[in-house]
Amino acid sequence: MLQIEQYELGNGLRVVLNEDHSAPLVAVNLWYHVGSKNERPGRTGFAHLFEHMLFSGSEHVGNNEHFRYVQSVGGVLNGTTFFDRTNYFETLPSNYLALGLWLESDRMGFFLPALTQEKLDIQREVVKEERRQRYDNVPYGTAFERMLHLAYDPDYSYHWPTIGSMDDLQAASLDDIRDFFATWYRPDNCVLTLVGDFIPAEAKALVEEYFGPIAPGGSFPHFTLERKPMGGERRETVPAQVQLPRLYRLYHLPKMGTPEWIHADLLTTVLSGDKASRLDRSLVFEKQIAQDVAAYVLPTEATGMLMLQATAKEGVDIEAIERAIDEEIARLARDGITADELTRAVNRAEIEYAHQLENYDSRADLVGMLSTYFDDPTIVNTWLDPYRASTTADVAAVSAKYLVPENRATSFFLPGK
Amino acid sequence: MTKMTIDRTTPPQPGPPRPYRFPHITRATLDNGLRVLVAENHSAPILSLRTIVKSGADHDVAELAGLASLTADILDEGAGSRDALRLAEDVGLLGGALGTGADWDASYVSIDVLSRNALPSISILGDVTYKANLPADGLDRVRSERLMELLQQRDEPATIAGKRFAGLLYGTGAYGNSVAGNPESIARITLDDIRRFYGSNYLPNNAALVISGDVTPEAAIDFARRSFGEWARGAEPARPQVTPAPIDSSRVYIIDRPQAVQSEIRIGHIGVARSSEDYFAISVMNALLGGVFNSRINLNLRERHGYTYGARSTFAFRREAGPFVVSAPVRNEVTRESVDEVLLELRRIRSGDIEDRELEDTKNYLIGVFPATVQSASDIASRLLDMELYGLPEDYFDHYRENIDAVDKDEIARVANKYIDPERVLIVIVGNAAQIREPLATLGYPLHEMDIEGNPVVG
Repeated sequence: MLQIEQYELGNGLRVVLNEDHSAPLVAVNLWYHVGSKNERPGRTGFAHLFEHMLFSGSEHVGNNEHFRYVQSVGGVLNGTTFFDRTNYFETLPSNYLALGLWLESDRMGFFLPALTQEKLDIQREVVKEERRQRYDNVPYGTAFERMLHLAYDPDYSYHWPTIGSMDDLQAASLDDIRDFFATWYRPDNCVLTLVGDFIPAEAKALVEEYFGPIAPGGSFPHFTLERKPMGGERRETVPAQVQLPRLYRLYHLPKMGTPEWIHADLLTTVLSGDKASRLDRSLVFEKQIAQDVAAYVLPTEATGMLMLQATAKEGVDIEAIERAIDEEIARLARDGITADELTRAVNRAEIEYAHQLENYDSRADLVGMLSTYFDDPTIVNTWLDPYRASTTADVAAVSAKYLVPENRATSFFLPGK
Repeated sequence: MTKMTIDRTTPPQPGPPRPYRFPHITRATLDNGLRVLVAENHSAPILSLRTIVKSGADHDVAELAGLASLTADILDEGAGSRDALRLAEDVGLLGGALGTGADWDASYVSIDVLSRNALPSISILGDVTYKANLPADGLDRVRSERLMELLQQRDEPATIAGKRFAGLLYGTGAYGNSVAGNPESIARITLDDIRRFYGSNYLPNNAALVISGDVTPEAAIDFARRSFGEWARGAEPARPQVTPAPIDSSRVYIIDRPQAVQSEIRIGHIGVARSSEDYFAISVMNALLGGVFNSRINLNLRERHGYTYGARSTFAFRREAGPFVVSAPVRNEVTRESVDEVLLELRRIRSGDIEDRELEDTKNYLIGVFPATVQSASDIASRLLDMELYGLPEDYFDHYRENIDAVDKDEIARVANKYIDPERVLIVIVGNAAQIREPLATLGYPLHEMDIEGNPVVG
């Protein structure tokens, strides 16, 4: 049982503390409740470009000095951007807690004075190289982006990936960056989580000192997060610079944390992950028509998605792969799953969760997520309960309800470009 | 409006440092020669179990490149009384994940598992380690998967660059192959080859067992005896020779990918073995040069010029001298400029031009970050494996931080001059030849072109 305390500063900043002295470290983790879903069509990639900008200094911290301050005392740090949130985090030797708070509060409260066109130009180039390296110059690199385009309507906020488009990145101006900061980067849109070796009373005093004076913002822009049904299956075939055909599937689900999403999470472990799982066993181990298969749910806040992919072996038609997958899914819906399969899936959830809690940094990130999305970080102590309470019928039911043609988008990446 | 209430102009001073100790390690040796290392840690209900066999792809001959890793791949195709599916099911029922693999120096079997199932998990680890069934249909399966994997690598520029760089540096010697082998060698490997490699290398006196996490040392060693005690000793395998030929002048190789939107750059030469007495000085020097985000090479290429998403330098410390390599993916237009900047940084680190602050920053990073890199049971298990594999002293990690701290500027300059030679580098670039050929020719080094398999391109 983790000791979790959450409270709020006068300016709306939510603070979560988890005291743990087993290592002389402290994890400082901030979740800003803004991601690529808060962008508009034609202005994509901002949340992520902005994440890069936040490492380029603030009023009292020089360009690149943020990295230097943290690394030069033995800290590790980074930031990531997703559909629904942007997180920033550092794990420091615990006697440097105040340093982490100073750095994070400076870029929350004093970022704009240090912003320059030159910094934007450099980071824009870096992000374009990131896009080239991770999307455009590698096989299947654009598959996720294509799938989002296919499965979500152009005006829906999950239609584009966090990296954004080259054109939109090119068009980003200093004013855009300033607006984005003023709208979203504020204490009342943030959760600050501390995990590790500190005395809570001392930590609270430091947090108040550094973050208390930062003013909250005005009203938030409104976003419609209600997804319209697809109105039938969507399919596409993409010729690509790849050696082996690959099938990508997205099944729509309820959002993360709902009972059905949890059952779907267990379902993905029944479908894939080791030799004995349904799809691995049938397609990879027995029929040997697929090189690999994978199924997983994404931790998304607005609406849920179950992703499925399978790579055909050389000379195998992608249609044969699709038929074999659909046969397994139909069999599962018809005959259900065994008690052993459920036990293995719950065990897997249990050990992955234990791994996540093991290190302060991943624990802080989990706690920050629970506070941001559910306003209750103590869920960290009960998260697995609904997994353990799930039945074989629950898992079969979620499969029968959601893994159906009218609820899916299917994309074939085929060799041939 | 924000208002100032504290002095934000200078960073706050740290509190007194809190004490840190590397976890206590309990050691035992079984009658068959198997070394057992246990690190007890009850902070999570997890156990990391690892067997390490001290023979890896360095034992592969060129004709059978990939033998060590293919052998590792087939271990989970059935062991003891369990066939492949039963093995996967039983590991899943224990709440475990089973992994096998090989790298240059060693082969591994691992199970990460819920600690309440310690004994049956260690028993399965033993079966997979020394009672693998090595079935013929299992070889068919892993061979086919490996061939597909090698096929897919033809479109992965970073993989191509790494392979060609190693091939040019080490020729047909072990480090010149790929751990994964090549399509011809993988097609050639027979079940007899695998049985021979397994039989002559998977021996308790050529191995170690690491148990890290939520278990007492007494119980762990008892479980080890019960599950590994029957493993029969054998003749210790001979250590293979890796005999690279250092290059005597710089040269450039272009591997054409006409559709590439980035150049994958590799610059370097043969490095140094893990056993080097200069290990700590080289580690600090490389961290300052290109080993961490705020290092010279990354700050130059990424933060000053915006050429890349990330550039780094690495010394591959292996049993014998692995490569020293600087790697960077950069956009086509700045390929030549990026090579220039890397060479400039290699020359500068040798000149002794090192600021006090950057040396202190780098050492403080390596010293301070150490506890954060050994928090989880599996991280600690990896460190214990390193100790066994490279014969590090028992108190190695207790003194790691003071050894880093002892490195000074003169040492940095000395090892930079001894182990980095910017005038004799191999430069390999996977990219759009039509766009980068002419600018690279102006470097003034001999320029060659080859295809992704390493065959020369003529005309």
